[in-house]
Amino acid sequence: MVWGSWVCLLAPLVGFGAILLAGTRITRVQAGVLSTLSVFVGFAGAVVAFVDALGRDPDDRAVTTTAWTWLSAGDFKVSIELLVDPLSLTMMLVVTGVGGLIVLYSNGYMKGEDEERRYFAYMSFFVFSMLMLVMGGNLLLLLVGWGLVGLASYLLIGFYHDRTSAIDAAKKAFVVNTVGDAAMALALFLAIAKVGSLDYGTVFAAAQSGQLSDTVVTLLALGLLAGAVAKSAQIPLHTWLPDAMEGPTPVSALIHAATMVTAGVYLICRTHLIFEAAPDIQHLAAILGLITLLAAGAIALVQWDIKRVIAYSTMSQIGYMFVGAGIGAYPFAMFHLVAHAFFKALLFLTAGLVIHHLDGEQDIRKMGGLAKSMPYTRWTFLIGSLALAGIPFFAGFWSKDAIIGAALAYGGPLGWTLYIGGLLGALLTGLYTFRLYFRVFHGAPSALVTAHTHGEQHGEGARSMLIPVGVLALGSTFIGFLAIPGVWEPFETWLEPVVPALVQATAGEDWLTSLFAVTLGSIGIFLAWRAFRAGRELVADGAVHTALEHKLWFDELYDVVFARPAQLIAVRVRDRFEAPVVQGGLDEVADGTLRGASVTASAQTGLLRTYALAITVAVSVLTLVFLVVR
Amino acid sequence: MGPGIPWYLAISAILFSIGVAGVLLRRSPLIVLLSLEIMLNASNLAFVGFSRLFGEMDGQIFALAVMAVAAAEVCVGLGLIVAMARRNLPLDVDSLTELRG
Repeated sequence: MVWGSWVCLLAPLVGFGAILLAGTRITRVQAGVLSTLSVFVGFAGAVVAFVDALGRDPDDRAVTTTAWTWLSAGDFKVSIELLVDPLSLTMMLVVTGVGGLIVLYSNGYMKGEDEERRYFAYMSFFVFSMLMLVMGGNLLLLLVGWGLVGLASYLLIGFYHDRTSAIDAAKKAFVVNTVGDAAMALALFLAIAKVGSLDYGTVFAAAQSGQLSDTVVTLLALGLLAGAVAKSAQIPLHTWLPDAMEGPTPVSALIHAATMVTAGVYLICRTHLIFEAAPDIQHLAAILGLITLLAAGAIALVQWDIKRVIAYSTMSQIGYMFVGAGIGAYPFAMFHLVAHAFFKALLFLTAGLVIHHLDGEQDIRKMGGLAKSMPYTRWTFLIGSLALAGIPFFAGFWSKDAIIGAALAYGGPLGWTLYIGGLLGALLTGLYTFRLYFRVFHGAPSALVTAHTHGEQHGEGARSMLIPVGVLALGSTFIGFLAIPGVWEPFETWLEPVVPALVQATAGEDWLTSLFAVTLGSIGIFLAWRAFRAGRELVADGAVHTALEHKLWFDELYDVVFARPAQLIAVRVRDRFEAPVVQGGLDEVADGTLRGASVTASAQTGLLRTYALAITVAVSVLTLVFLVVR
Repeated sequence: MGPGIPWYLAISAILFSIGVAGVLLRRSPLIVLLSLEIMLNASNLAFVGFSRLFGEMDGQIFALAVMAVAAAEVCVGLGLIVAMARRNLPLDVDSLTELRG
């Protein structure tokens, strides 16, 4: 049923508009309810579309509905159209389902904040933009959604607009994302110039048929990859994500963990036919993913901010997805995306419970021993951590191992590198996840925790916060059973008409991979436990620690390479050109006008008589001239 | 048959000149307005005269339009003069020189 997908897309937009227009006529609580409802109505629409698609033949599940022709220039046409196929349906369900839970959670988390209505309006707007991105029926609508989620992300990171750090982080996120957006726009221009269309089918067919030169296809894929890398915070365009943690915690959960940052993976899967025509670029995606997953995992080992640790973990997990997408294991990348959306949203929301409980404290050095006072939070956080570390039979176990197994099946030098890197990543994941878990929940309660436990008892959080956490914990536990290699693979079969798995591990390879990955993950957990018991840090002080603490100096590097030269040039241009030429020229024009005006003004006597005489004389002279010339 | 068309045109020219002289020479706004009316009606006479000369109705229609405009103009003009009188401003066009540049 086509209307389901339109309801899904438009419900959050209606919610956004309603909150915006209602302004102060509705209370803050009503704004929250409105936003939550709008997203859940969207979810219902997605479910209707999903059930409808299930009822049809697998090859007949892609439905394109066109609303109207939006742009038309010569032969080039772009329509407002939705593409609803298994891939976008998967994303729709995740975005509205997990998104709805997170918005529901926000009702409790944001209670008492200033400007709640603005917050909920932005949240609805984000969900709409994200749906636009995944449902857009052509590359231009994809880019529109791509830009809008960037805007929503900017607005929400900078939600606490009285904090300088939040504003800086928002600007940084926007600028870095713009680099990717611009690259993507260039790729689209190239597609228009060489193919003459932005329809998925036409562009893919052109890329596959070989009618485009290799250079064109490579540039096309490179532009799309740059967009994906920026949005998904992969090295080298990753620096914005850790800073984005300045936003409210539910925002981090929704935008910077579950949905927006995974858009890059969606993009690669959606346009996989272009990437397959440019294998070098596809391998580049896998390599960037590998570098990111290792670097981010290592940096997460030394961070002290609870949200930043999870943010680096997000980068690392998206690295896995890029590895999967880069070797053609699309369903596994998508499955990791879905599973990750559950357990990472769960981790962020439980971290939010902790932060809320401790009145905004985010430094894990000041936490500890929360297990007693927050049992519910502790257990759900533990479930999220186990899922993240890939412990059987939680979600991450199935999804991550499938990607690593696919790397083994891919073979060759690249496959082996990715395989070993992926396993190493599993070790890092166990280490940083459980460093965080033990630090926060185990040991003796810290002074800060004691102060908050013996003060007024406000429980672990409002019910609107605890319910979404519970649902996500259930999801993190059971979602993995949608893809049991070799036994029951409904997820893969579901995606097959759109994104078939080009590589797939055999049962033996899968078990071997799982054996290694689980062992390494468990070793990571064990090492984290031992270090915690001994009161040591995982990375001893020294060169390595310094490097990780400075996040491998990416920020400093970009400062020297881009920011400073740009500032220098800007100052020069201002002093040499803007001040003398632009400003000076305007001053000249203004002065000249004034001088001319004072001359003409003296002709104005204010006497009616003069004017009448002037008119009479002029008309008489003109009449004479006409008579004489005739 | 009355007098020929040239006579009408001549009278029209004379009336117009009288009007111009009135506008240029008199100081009372009321008289200036009156002179303006004379100029308008002089042109009306010329319109009608030419209309008869060429045997077409355009000029007469125009004369009607001019009358409408003249009526409107008198309304505004008289309104202004009444307003000036009410505020005790001097009724003298030469003393109203506020718009001097």
